[in-house]
Amino acid sequence: MVTLEFRRDRVLLRWKDQKYEWVIEPRYWRNPAIGVGLLASLPLFVSAYPNILTMITTANLYAAITIPLGLQITGTARVNFGPQLYLGIGGYTAALMNLHLGTGPAVTLLGTILVCGGIALLLSPTTWIAKGLYFSLISLILPLTFLDITFIYGDIFRGEVGLVGMSPLFSLPKVNWNYIAYFYLSLGLMLFYLLVCDKIGRSRFGVSMAAINENEDVARMMGVPVDQYKVFFYVFPSILTGIVGWFIVHTFRTFAGVTYLPLDFMTKILIIVIVGGRAFLYGAIPGAYLISAVEDSLRMFGPINYVLFPLTLIALIVILPRGEGLWGLYHKRHHRDYYPVLHVRRD
Amino acid sequence: MIETLHSILIYTFIWGSIYLLISLGFSLICGVLRIFHLGYGATFVLAAYAVWTFMEEVNLGLIPSILLMLLVQIAFSLAVFYRGVFQRYLDQEEILLTLSILIFVALTHLANFLFPVTAGVSIPTTIIDDTLVIGKVRIAYQMILAALAGILVTALYVLWFLKTRTGLVIRAISQNLPAALLMGAGVNRMYHLAMILSVIPPTICMMMIAPFWGVDPFMGSPLLMTAMLIAILGGLGNLKGSIVASYLIGFIHASVSFLYVSRFMGLAALVFTLGVMIYRRGGIFAGETLW
Repeated sequence: MVTLEFRRDRVLLRWKDQKYEWVIEPRYWRNPAIGVGLLASLPLFVSAYPNILTMITTANLYAAITIPLGLQITGTARVNFGPQLYLGIGGYTAALMNLHLGTGPAVTLLGTILVCGGIALLLSPTTWIAKGLYFSLISLILPLTFLDITFIYGDIFRGEVGLVGMSPLFSLPKVNWNYIAYFYLSLGLMLFYLLVCDKIGRSRFGVSMAAINENEDVARMMGVPVDQYKVFFYVFPSILTGIVGWFIVHTFRTFAGVTYLPLDFMTKILIIVIVGGRAFLYGAIPGAYLISAVEDSLRMFGPINYVLFPLTLIALIVILPRGEGLWGLYHKRHHRDYYPVLHVRRD
Repeated sequence: MIETLHSILIYTFIWGSIYLLISLGFSLICGVLRIFHLGYGATFVLAAYAVWTFMEEVNLGLIPSILLMLLVQIAFSLAVFYRGVFQRYLDQEEILLTLSILIFVALTHLANFLFPVTAGVSIPTTIIDDTLVIGKVRIAYQMILAALAGILVTALYVLWFLKTRTGLVIRAISQNLPAALLMGAGVNRMYHLAMILSVIPPTICMMMIAPFWGVDPFMGSPLLMTAMLIAILGGLGNLKGSIVASYLIGFIHASVSFLYVSRFMGLAALVFTLGVMIYRRGGIFAGETLW
């Protein structure tokens, strides 16, 4: 028997011994709704500029990589310096399946999830074996090794040029409509990741995650199955990152490891974590939009932009408030549930 | 088969000794400052391109260019990395590491912007332009000299750390910082000294290997990766571990190259390191002290 209860601030749904609730009081959803509304209305102002649409689509994808990374960093109590590894694995899996097996996006998505999940599962014991700093170094080396492999097997991965000509998710009659559609898809992906990661963070799972992040030994003593949780928090965000690779393949229809696997790309993602607000899921969005805008606007300077971009990022880290980052500027006036402290630990 | 074994042994010695030069500075900073210097790759780039700039743009000779470059290296290491990053963000490691990488990336792209690969940058530091034949193995004298330089520099560093009073203070800081502070060790001065000492081996390395390794703006990444692998395998910041790990990695690279295909040597070294870490989480010498 399902019963519905309407309370002042929430709606409760009861079924057998289960309880589900939805918050309806405006103060809980007003600001997120305004934020989503603002993001969703962006194409109204920039629909005539495909380059800006591409930039904000890229920003959504950066955020979609950074949000699971925040969850992973907290849940494994390790700073992953190579999240782009799974972006590369996911992207190449989707691209190779599409090009060589002729499979459509739905099947390549399934393949991406399976391959990324399998490899992440295989590598997940590193979260137990490697101490904090060692883990960071290993995670830094892995994508670079994968990049090496893409050059070694150039006949498969097409090295520097990358793979091109993958089938699109869809094709609309007007080019501009495609840009707008891909923006909304990327926004949907990013918001979906935010919702999922936020739900995990606020659940009982999230409490255990916070305990692991604070002190693994104490968490273990309190009965948290630390090793299993670490595997989950390593594998699940890795799959989410792999899906972004799949999305890139079927959106931009080109994928080259040399774009996504080197140190340059990794630094962008780490800067988004730092500038947006360390390991705080919502910070990824302003961080990603800022970094994407900076990157795009520096392109007008020509080849020197490759030098100016890291220098600008250095300036951003030095100038912007440290710790809670851009998100902290807004959030400091509000109640905080849990703010994870990041350390590249030695133990 | 005997010939292959012969080649593996010779190249284990040569590559292992060169890897010593590559990783010594990285391990030193790990051991003394207890941080990862992810901007370490910049040292190699700066060494090569500063010498080239002084020779080509200022028209200086090779020796004055190398001496000036060394001064630039030390100034850059102290002013940018130590004062600019390490000192300010010592308690925020993720920022420290990210900033170090960004400086390295910026320097790499600057080198690429000023002197792209097509500029044909080369450092004429060949000492003996000939080859030596041992059995059926032919080796360039420059490689042998680079290997000998690696052994000599490492021996000097180890002796200096073991036999001098300053070396003792640095080892004390590496073992127990609070205790060293209580005993009146000039930690800041020693950190400065460690930063200076850390740029010398990679600089010598770059000068010795440039004639046969080649110079390009993006060479810092693979060299940094090698240094990191050695540091992880040997045990962070432990010079004994670095020495053992250098030759182990040299052996793996040589074995994979001669028994299989050279392009897999990096992957093989990584797999081996991960395998070792299953049994020894902190690397071969897990003490995390300098010696």
